[in-house]
Amino acid sequence: MSQGRQLTFNIFRYDPQEPNDKPKMVRYHLTETPGMTVFIALNKLREEQDTSLQFDFVCRAGICGSCAMVINGFPTLACRTLTAKYPNGEITLMPLPGFELIGDLSVNTGKFMRELAERLKLWLHPKANDISIHRLEEPMAPEEAARLYELERCVECGVCVSACATKQMRETFVGAVGMMKIARFELDSRDARTAEDFYHVIGNQDGVFGCMTLLGCQDNCPKDLPHMQQIAYLRRKMAMTLV
Amino acid sequence: MKLIYTDSLVVGAGLAGLRVAIASKERGLDTLVLSLIPAKRSHSAAAQGGMQASLGNAVKGMGDDEDVHFQDTVKGSDWGCDQEVARMFAHCAPKAVRELANWGVPWSRVSAGPREVIVNAQKVTLQEAEEAHGLINARDFGGTKKWRTCYTADGTGHSLLYAMDNKAISMDIPVHERVEALSIIHDGQRCHGVIARCLITGELRAYVAKSTTIATGGYGRIYEVSTNAIICEGIGQALALETGVATLGNMEAVQFHPTAIVPVGILTTEGCRGDGGLLRDKDGYRFMPDYEPEKKELASRDVVSRRMTEHMRKGKGVDSPYGPHLWLDITLLGRKHIETNLREVQEICENFLGIDPAKDWIPVRPTQHYSMGGIRTKATGESPQLKGLFSVGEAACWDMHGFNRLGGNSLAETVVGGMIIGKYVADFCENNSLEIDTQLAEKFMRQVQTEIDTLVDGEGHESPFELKREMQRIMMDYVGIFRNGPELDKAVNELKALLERSRKLGIKCKKRHANPELVEALRVKRMLKVALTVACGAAARTESRGAHAREDYPQRNDRDWLNRTLASWPDANALEPVLSYEPLDVMKMELPPGYRGYGIDNAIAHPDTAKREQQIAEILAELGDNADRYQRQAALMPFELPPSLQAKNERLSDTLQRPSANALGEKS
Amino acid sequence: MAIKLSIKKWSAWLDLSQSLSGVILAVFLWTHLVLVSSILLGGDAMNWVARTMELSFLSSDGHGYPWVVTCIAVGIAALALVHVIVALQKLPMSLRQQRALQQQMQVINHSDTRLWRWQAITGVVILLLLPVHLWLIGSAPETIGPQGSAERIWNQGVWMVYLPLLLTVELHAAIGIYRVALKWGAARDLNSRSRLRKIKTIVSIAFVTVGIASLLAFLPHAS
Repeated sequence: MSQGRQLTFNIFRYDPQEPNDKPKMVRYHLTETPGMTVFIALNKLREEQDTSLQFDFVCRAGICGSCAMVINGFPTLACRTLTAKYPNGEITLMPLPGFELIGDLSVNTGKFMRELAERLKLWLHPKANDISIHRLEEPMAPEEAARLYELERCVECGVCVSACATKQMRETFVGAVGMMKIARFELDSRDARTAEDFYHVIGNQDGVFGCMTLLGCQDNCPKDLPHMQQIAYLRRKMAMTLV
Repeated sequence: MKLIYTDSLVVGAGLAGLRVAIASKERGLDTLVLSLIPAKRSHSAAAQGGMQASLGNAVKGMGDDEDVHFQDTVKGSDWGCDQEVARMFAHCAPKAVRELANWGVPWSRVSAGPREVIVNAQKVTLQEAEEAHGLINARDFGGTKKWRTCYTADGTGHSLLYAMDNKAISMDIPVHERVEALSIIHDGQRCHGVIARCLITGELRAYVAKSTTIATGGYGRIYEVSTNAIICEGIGQALALETGVATLGNMEAVQFHPTAIVPVGILTTEGCRGDGGLLRDKDGYRFMPDYEPEKKELASRDVVSRRMTEHMRKGKGVDSPYGPHLWLDITLLGRKHIETNLREVQEICENFLGIDPAKDWIPVRPTQHYSMGGIRTKATGESPQLKGLFSVGEAACWDMHGFNRLGGNSLAETVVGGMIIGKYVADFCENNSLEIDTQLAEKFMRQVQTEIDTLVDGEGHESPFELKREMQRIMMDYVGIFRNGPELDKAVNELKALLERSRKLGIKCKKRHANPELVEALRVKRMLKVALTVACGAAARTESRGAHAREDYPQRNDRDWLNRTLASWPDANALEPVLSYEPLDVMKMELPPGYRGYGIDNAIAHPDTAKREQQIAEILAELGDNADRYQRQAALMPFELPPSLQAKNERLSDTLQRPSANALGEKS
Repeated sequence: MAIKLSIKKWSAWLDLSQSLSGVILAVFLWTHLVLVSSILLGGDAMNWVARTMELSFLSSDGHGYPWVVTCIAVGIAALALVHVIVALQKLPMSLRQQRALQQQMQVINHSDTRLWRWQAITGVVILLLLPVHLWLIGSAPETIGPQGSAERIWNQGVWMVYLPLLLTVELHAAIGIYRVALKWGAARDLNSRSRLRKIKTIVSIAFVTVGIASLLAFLPHAS
């Protein structure tokens, strides 16, 4: 392990609430320690060099999706990015594009995701509302449960949204996260909605038919979700409603 | 002054908080949730393994019911829990699992026919019943008699939190994100809401409500290395403590999880061992059977953590730059199992250790994991001292965990406790009117404002980061897995000195809006008080019980210590909390103190224990053989529940016409 | 209701027609290039191909009907028009969109997005050059042949149109087919995606090579 190496961080700094502040890149130097992640490095920088540095971490274990940022050109989760990954020790950090900037590396993904969930109605619409919680549960095919979980692994980190050029150009585009969640409920046998219902939500230029299949979502998703197949599946499904 | 009114105010948007909010909203109450972060990022999401509920669908769960779950929980708690609460919990756990299935959780399901599992390092073929096909599955966890832990692969917390938050969104429950509660508005008897600060704009707001529910999780981050998310800093407990009236219960009961990876302290789920993983020492030797011949790797967490520490102290740990560790070996489970059921573990190993757990052993050691202690509440979730203040989940000492929590019971507590306490919160809101005392709210607002002004403009010079680091080190070094008098006293003294220093905090970044240093300064003062309640409680408790292990008092002492520690902080200028004790009444226990079935059997008996055992035998004899288990239970220890949750739980065994389940079983 | 429904499903039709028109155009393009490359086998071979395309085997005098080529040109123009109109919907038309795209691409390094930008740029170039080509051929179909074409390409300087057209159209078509395949789910996993990407590159290079060779092969026929 490359202990003691000097790392150089180029960090985007901007506080939109400071009247005279302008976006800029600031350089910081830090000595690398074994097993250092961008999470550890940023906290060290804040504690030792600049206490005003803003960024978001919660679980620091790659589970909660809070800390997505662009690291040397690739949007990903900062908490599980080892600094050792960068042989020349130069690390450039930018906030995720396409989200409201709170300050420096902190963006408001939470607000975006909540609005998306409200807009696309991203919750289970059960077929029956009166299932008793005291009685034996309804069976579900074990394979179906496993498939649903596969799609549920999304952590709403926002990487797919920022990596999507389509989304950048078309603000109302639902992005991969929206389509993946629709695909998840479309697959769920407990959900009452039909293909026709889903068509109303994503069968348009803001949904599957606006997607240009650039696959920034697929290529950057920290959870390796199968965006390409799922969006293609939805597109076929939606196109099938034509006949 | 910005005032926001609501009926039911919930602080914390994890599983427990959201469940209470849903329960309030269901009853048509105006409901509002405050959260430091977006709800779906809450630490609930990190619970990998699953939640316990005695459904008894899987063949290894057959015969399970509320009674067995209750007994496991009480034994796990080392008789430190409130048995009535444990009963309420065990009764409602299956309901919560089924409710969540209705809300969208894709619980892993039983596949009929043979399935291969690893039990005690042996491949075993289980034969699942035809009738159970498609019902909710369960896996094995530590300290349980039956396979009872319901799960969705190893992202159970994630699935639950997402389903819960989606439900809350569908009900249009507002969550004020990036808002931090800093003070409880109260008049010494009644809680009226909180003063909170927006972490983006820095605005202070008074949230005034009929009921205020604290669901802010645990206080793991007072320790240097913890599996907890970095937001689990005990601020909720501190808010209650700073009222000077409300009490915290059993704060010294801090659980260490046996298998967090070294050095970063990220958890690998208990499911690893539940599914058949083994612990090995530096020689590759499987040592747990030597210490715990019966439960082996699957004794309760406090026991396994202590055995591991003991073994490392014998020089059997693997040396590393970060101190000694042991190995967790899941290679014997096979790649397919790891890639489907333990995928998060695999990701964590790849990303943080650069190893492949299907091939390599995982470096692990016991790490701070869970806070059994918290805001003391009655069985209804309400503080005994402050009317209208509720607490739920890890933040609370509702007290189903006592001095040690079983794996799979924390996730269960969030949703089950939320379900039960949610109803009591709604009842409270319906029966009470909103009292708006703007002068009182202003008083608390001014206090917080002054605190911030002093930090920004004051003369202080102490660094919040430095104080926090020192506190975390003290807790780690002196209030860890094994504790002793001299070290605990040292911890208390050093923490007191830090608390003193925290009155001279000063910050370099002078912004009043988004300012991470200001946030840190506001928190560290509060965290120090929480740390002190832990250290003082541990120093005072001269026995070993559950996770609280005193080297100088190795026995569980039911005679003198069968009680709950209560801590309050009546004098804001004091440097330590006031401790008092609430006895646990053996004569009311359904399960009087005894041997847990694992760990060391060395308890000093309570004088009432024999008496109560005798009494129980008499009560049961009187009932006769015809009484069913519900009647027996009711005769021994009746417990309250909201009427809508009282119904019995149906199980597969109740619906089967023929006793085919008995014919099925284990075939090796 | 019926009308409302069809308007609602307009996006699906648009998306489908873009994919379909693109695939037809690409298939035509590659066929066309293979036919033109007959010049590599000599003037007689190309003559034969050109006459056959004019359906010479149906006419008694064996000269065929050059207007068939005009028809094809008109048909291709129509298809291309559909393709362009639909595609325009997806291009960044406003300054705001262009700036957002520019910013994102500066920050984020993603090769398929860059590929798409090339597709968009080549699309615009094709939009300018293709009408010239279609006009030249459609208005004088009878001149297609080793001498006529060579005269046009090398003596009248039309190679200045054909060479850039060849390069852009081959890039555009191959990327487009690759994307259509992914879009509708032809690549079931990432392995086959990277394979598709390789095939796409090979196809581009192969056809550009054949195209340039063919252009050069006309040189001796230019008098």
